Amino acid sequence: MLRRRFGKMAVTTVAGAMLMAAAACGGSGGDEGTTANSASGASEAPKASGLKVGLAFDVGGRGDKSFNDSAYAGLERAKTDLGAEIKDLSPAADGSNRGELLRQLAEAGYNPIIGVGFAYGEDIKKTAAEYPDIQFAVVDSASNGPNVTGLLFAEEQGSYLAGVAAADKSKTGHLGFVGGVENDLIKKFQAGFEAGAKSVKSDIKIDVKYLTPDGDFSGFKAPDKGKIAAEKMYQDGADIVYHASGDSGLGVFQAAAAAGKQAIGVDSDQYETVKEADLKKVIMTSMIKRVDVGVFEFIKAFKDGTAKGGSDNVYDLKVDGVGLSTSGGFIDDITAKVDEAKKKIVDGSVTVPAKP
Amino acid sequence: MTTSVAAPEARRVRRYHLALLGVALLILLLSLARVVADAPELTSSGTFGAALLLAVPIALAGLGGLWSERAGVVNIGLEGMMVLGTWCAGWAGYQWGAAAALVAGLLGGALGGLIHAVATVTFGVDHIISGVAINLLGPGITRFLSEVLYAQGTAAADKGAGITSSPGLASQAPSVSLPLLSDGPDLLGKLEATHWFLLSDVAGVLRGLTHDVNVLVILAVALIPLTFFILWRTTFGLRLRSCGENPWAAESLGVNVYLTKYIATIISGALAGLGGVFLVFVTTKYVEGQTAGRGFIGLAAMIFGNWRPGGLAVGASLFGYADGLQLRSSHAVTGLLLFGAILLLIYTGAQVRKALAVNGPGVRQYTAAAVAALAAVILLWLWVTVDKLPNEFVFITPHVLTLLVLSAASQSLRMPKADGVRYRRGEQH
Repeated sequence: MLRRRFGKMAVTTVAGAMLMAAAACGGSGGDEGTTANSASGASEAPKASGLKVGLAFDVGGRGDKSFNDSAYAGLERAKTDLGAEIKDLSPAADGSNRGELLRQLAEAGYNPIIGVGFAYGEDIKKTAAEYPDIQFAVVDSASNGPNVTGLLFAEEQGSYLAGVAAADKSKTGHLGFVGGVENDLIKKFQAGFEAGAKSVKSDIKIDVKYLTPDGDFSGFKAPDKGKIAAEKMYQDGADIVYHASGDSGLGVFQAAAAAGKQAIGVDSDQYETVKEADLKKVIMTSMIKRVDVGVFEFIKAFKDGTAKGGSDNVYDLKVDGVGLSTSGGFIDDITAKVDEAKKKIVDGSVTVPAKP
Repeated sequence: MTTSVAAPEARRVRRYHLALLGVALLILLLSLARVVADAPELTSSGTFGAALLLAVPIALAGLGGLWSERAGVVNIGLEGMMVLGTWCAGWAGYQWGAAAALVAGLLGGALGGLIHAVATVTFGVDHIISGVAINLLGPGITRFLSEVLYAQGTAAADKGAGITSSPGLASQAPSVSLPLLSDGPDLLGKLEATHWFLLSDVAGVLRGLTHDVNVLVILAVALIPLTFFILWRTTFGLRLRSCGENPWAAESLGVNVYLTKYIATIISGALAGLGGVFLVFVTTKYVEGQTAGRGFIGLAAMIFGNWRPGGLAVGASLFGYADGLQLRSSHAVTGLLLFGAILLLIYTGAQVRKALAVNGPGVRQYTAAAVAALAAVILLWLWVTVDKLPNEFVFITPHVLTLLVLSAASQSLRMPKADGVRYRRGEQH
């Protein structure tokens, strides 16, 4: 009898303890980043400016060598140039606690608060309604509240240049595009790329493959699937594949290296961020999104009192919010053509479609 | 006496031959569909290579599930153990190379198995709760470790690590090909390129399965018959399965049920971890979230495979094949419709023949035949009219196909009788 009762108690205790441990660990994803970063940021005496900037990362968090790190670079610049006190938080691996992070920052008195990534759209809307006195900004999503600023990038324009460069460089007249998740944001990349390539060669063939459907974000983290999809394109005769698929792009580069062909990176200058020497040389160029510029400009505007919310700031080719990287020197010989295409977009004689 | 021994023996031989015949028939039909639908991807070596790549982690997770469930421990924590495997493999791999990654991944997964065993066997925690906890624990712990060990400014970060990924492996796991046939002169590849009916298809399948194959794939494939042999042909296996069927009877015969369950669950975790190692080998580094639910798919393949190694291998291959196909070519997926229609027509024919052969045809047979015929017509109609499938359908092909085939094939599932039952020594019920 006693034994049985003990057994039951043990069951409940252990089960409870495990779940709590698990919950603690799950949560620590965010907390860890907080403590580590606040050591450098918050613990210093607040600078004279009194500007307290909070930033919540997209899934992947700081150190992704791409999107999030770019946003952080903007935040860091705000710290050095504007004397802002900064704090950044990373969400759990599945991104379920985005709203929580925003509220944490709001409760701690941070203003403005920036959410990085289109997935913050809904959470920002809710949080912004709860804290009407705080200014919010969201990267890659349009403004959806009177105190929310949307920081948008003209990915289609940058991708257009990538398409121009790829079509100029292609020997087979056959290109490929690998998208991570089939949503409107990634479709902008596809649309621009196709338009750019066709502006050079109207009959160019472009294979398109998305790795996962809308809503299933594992497509940004599946290098094996990226590799399989790109492999097929290279086998069919494509010689340059452009990817907009986050971490899955690694697989695209691997397929390019195995096939002896080339690929185009995305978001940051991937020639610089990829460490493997054999993958480096297949990265012809990268379509860069200057998230750092967007974040910094927003903070600066807030400090100057011009960030009122309720509108979108679009970073396009005109302000160099997007563009092509030239490291590696693979596209040095066609710089003139790329610049010409850029000029046409900037002066308005070419309009790039945002939908394929 | 002699007849009773001979009968099962004969049946086994028949079954084995039937399986071979079935595979041959499938390839024949596939090549027919390939020619008619003009979808070379259906039997190309690229598709089968991709299928192998995608099937192996699922099969390893399924094998892990098989080991523990045969010993009576339900293991839905496979996903978490797999995550532990990927992280450990990435961490050890970037420092000491592929062999270390393999060992570390196995140990990481085994650690997850050990936790599950302590909770369920020693403390009698509900198996589902413990499994769910491990699924939360795996990603949580690995994220924590990544933040500590791969943070900015560490040596690992200089080598390319980030919070969501490890640096690349220091050395790659070797890949092998069949000499002459699928490498060098590449005879199979040449045969495949001719696009002859049947011959090229067989060549494509064989080349896909033998060209540039990672050594871990060979190990994984070998583990399936090995598991069958250990669990069904050795004393240890008999004892292990007896723990899953009736632990009290096993106990009365002197089997150490606790120990057996521990061993089974730890092996289960190690196998799931091995699946994780394979994912790391493919991408050459750890990427957070790269398991993408494969542990659960493996578990499902194992259940629909009726808790048998052969069944789970079929399930995993089917999923891998369909996934590889949809990733490589959406056009070929429409070819799959035609293939399905042909299969259903054959099934209809078989049902009708059966109905005519037995005295007084059963209503059941007629219904089955009618449903199959109708489905075949619908599939044919779809194939003729649909030029390009919407992407939404293409994406779910692997799931739908696996579900349909396995649920049709496994009408009578039988799980180990004491699977998921809490066992206490000496507590005869």
